[in-house]
Amino acid sequence: MFKYFVKRMLLALLSLFVVLTIVFLLMRLMPVDGYFADRSDSMNEATKEAVLRSLGLLDPVPKQLLDFYGKLLRGDLGSSIVYRPRVPNAEILADKIPYSAYFGLASVTVSLVLGCGLGILMARSKAKFWDKIGTGYILLINAIPSIVYYLFFQVTVSGALGIPMLFSAKNPVTWILPLICMSLGGIASNAMWTRRYMVDELNKDYIALARAKGVKNSSIMVHHVLRNAFIPMAQYLPSNILYTVTGSIYVEALFSVPGMGGLLVTAIQRQDNTLVQALVLIYAGIGVVGLVLGDLLMALLDPRIALSKQGESR
Amino acid sequence: MTQAREPILKVRDLEVRFSLRGRTLTAIRGASLDVFEGESLAIVGESGSGKSVFVKSFMGMLDKNGLVTHGSIEYGGQDLAKFSAEKDWLKIRGRELAMVMQDPMTSLNPLKTVGAQIGEAIRLHQGLRGAQLKEAVVAMLEDVGIPNAAKRARQYPHQFSGGMRQRVVIAIAMACRPKILICDEPTTALDVTIQAQILSLIKELKQRHNLTTIYITHDLGVVANVADRIAVMYAGDVVELGTAEEIFYQPAHPYTWALLSSLPQLGIRGQDLYSIKGTPPNLFSHIKGDAFAPRNPQALAVDFEYRPPYFEISPTHKARTWLLDPRAPKVEPPPAIRHIRQVVGREDS
Repeated sequence: MFKYFVKRMLLALLSLFVVLTIVFLLMRLMPVDGYFADRSDSMNEATKEAVLRSLGLLDPVPKQLLDFYGKLLRGDLGSSIVYRPRVPNAEILADKIPYSAYFGLASVTVSLVLGCGLGILMARSKAKFWDKIGTGYILLINAIPSIVYYLFFQVTVSGALGIPMLFSAKNPVTWILPLICMSLGGIASNAMWTRRYMVDELNKDYIALARAKGVKNSSIMVHHVLRNAFIPMAQYLPSNILYTVTGSIYVEALFSVPGMGGLLVTAIQRQDNTLVQALVLIYAGIGVVGLVLGDLLMALLDPRIALSKQGESR
Repeated sequence: MTQAREPILKVRDLEVRFSLRGRTLTAIRGASLDVFEGESLAIVGESGSGKSVFVKSFMGMLDKNGLVTHGSIEYGGQDLAKFSAEKDWLKIRGRELAMVMQDPMTSLNPLKTVGAQIGEAIRLHQGLRGAQLKEAVVAMLEDVGIPNAAKRARQYPHQFSGGMRQRVVIAIAMACRPKILICDEPTTALDVTIQAQILSLIKELKQRHNLTTIYITHDLGVVANVADRIAVMYAGDVVELGTAEEIFYQPAHPYTWALLSSLPQLGIRGQDLYSIKGTPPNLFSHIKGDAFAPRNPQALAVDFEYRPPYFEISPTHKARTWLLDPRAPKVEPPPAIRHIRQVVGREDS
């Protein structure tokens, strides 16, 4: 198990290195005009060159790459160029990540609890009342573009309840609407998968055998169905939790939550190289670490998965 | 040998219906059967004859869309056909009747150790806990012939071969301490070398624990090996019932003739193997007369009009066919099955 884990982590580091290098090189291919934004016209060639030189952009690309990795190994994510000039990227992220992470974790928790709960309810009353209600809800959430119900909550619901339309960290009431908006989709997909995997398990032979030996239906649900149905979902759980720090572009923009959502888009648009690199590091890091943790979680829950050596069978 | 005893399970005129997409399928059409204490009964029939549904109804294990609509299942002074609440069935399942299912590869929970799954049954039916429970699990595994039981109890189903898994399934059934053990095609999914081992294990457990066993199978080889009595099912009804001797050597129903003629061992080298022409009747529609008549080359005109009653051939042997009516013309069974004695050679009597 341990050996497997180390191997997976090394592979994860390698993927991270490849992703970062490719993004780094791509950023260097973009026209340099981006670095001066709207000041481009008012600057002469000499000033421009001086700016580029001070940013280290006139060095040969291999040297720039080495510098970048050198800093990175010392834990330096560089400083922002355009977005908030000369402010360390780490500081920019430290301001924003908490908001996204709070909302994200809250919404993952809410959608896991309510979604799985709804899914269990639906599986138990298959083709009856709760199943139909749940299916209606899932269909509605998937059919309506999310921005439509986001706006509904922001404009109509906030008006009806007399809650401010925009987020303000000091006013606890303003946390509610963005959280609801962020959770509705997750509830729907968790409910759908929970129901589906539970119904799959319920139709299996071992459930019939458990009934035949006289186990109560309620304890079959708890001891046999739930855990088995949860395993296929467990793989994506770590990624889902980790990705919460990246925030939701729509919801954060709509309620003006000062989080991470949309930061990557802004940084790319404004060609803030160092910020883009820092963000890519976070996104890619979450991606690979999430996958490794997902596999490990599966292996912990499912004895059939032998990570290190071949399972014996006689 | 069985006629003097009171039946332990008495099924009368059982009718089981399923509703499927708004239509009603009658899977069991008024079947009756007595099961005597300590006997080994085999229910044979082709796929779709309703043999599995029939026994599942004894344990309240029909699928959700299935319902006993008529008849009675008398067991221990109660009519199981009237049960609907789970709490009633919990007194029957495992405790009185237990089941070994067809496919050992799927009938164990892949995420629980074998010991935990046997332990669940022991806890429920013998009330043991803790260290006593662990001991009982290991003893149970040893009882079904699994070597190294203490270690094996901590392993998961995927670490067992098919034959070993079936032993575990049998251990689970036995851990319930049932009076009747139902074996639903217990060897169909196993390879031939293992089949004999599993059958002799069940036979041995039956002897040792004084069980009544009901086998469901379409393998006449299995039947010849284990059964005292045989019930032949066709289209949701028991068409012939008798001791194994009677069914194999003096079969009376044309369907039993056809079934026995299909034994590959009766084939003659160079000739096509015998197969029953046509398909089983559509159970969605009402069946008039003898359900087997359309596939029976020797069917009489009356077969298409009226459902035959049971005609008694001996106190232990009866069949539902008009051929046994005194007014019926004399029809000889096909020549192939007259040689069956040389082929089937039952080892016991």
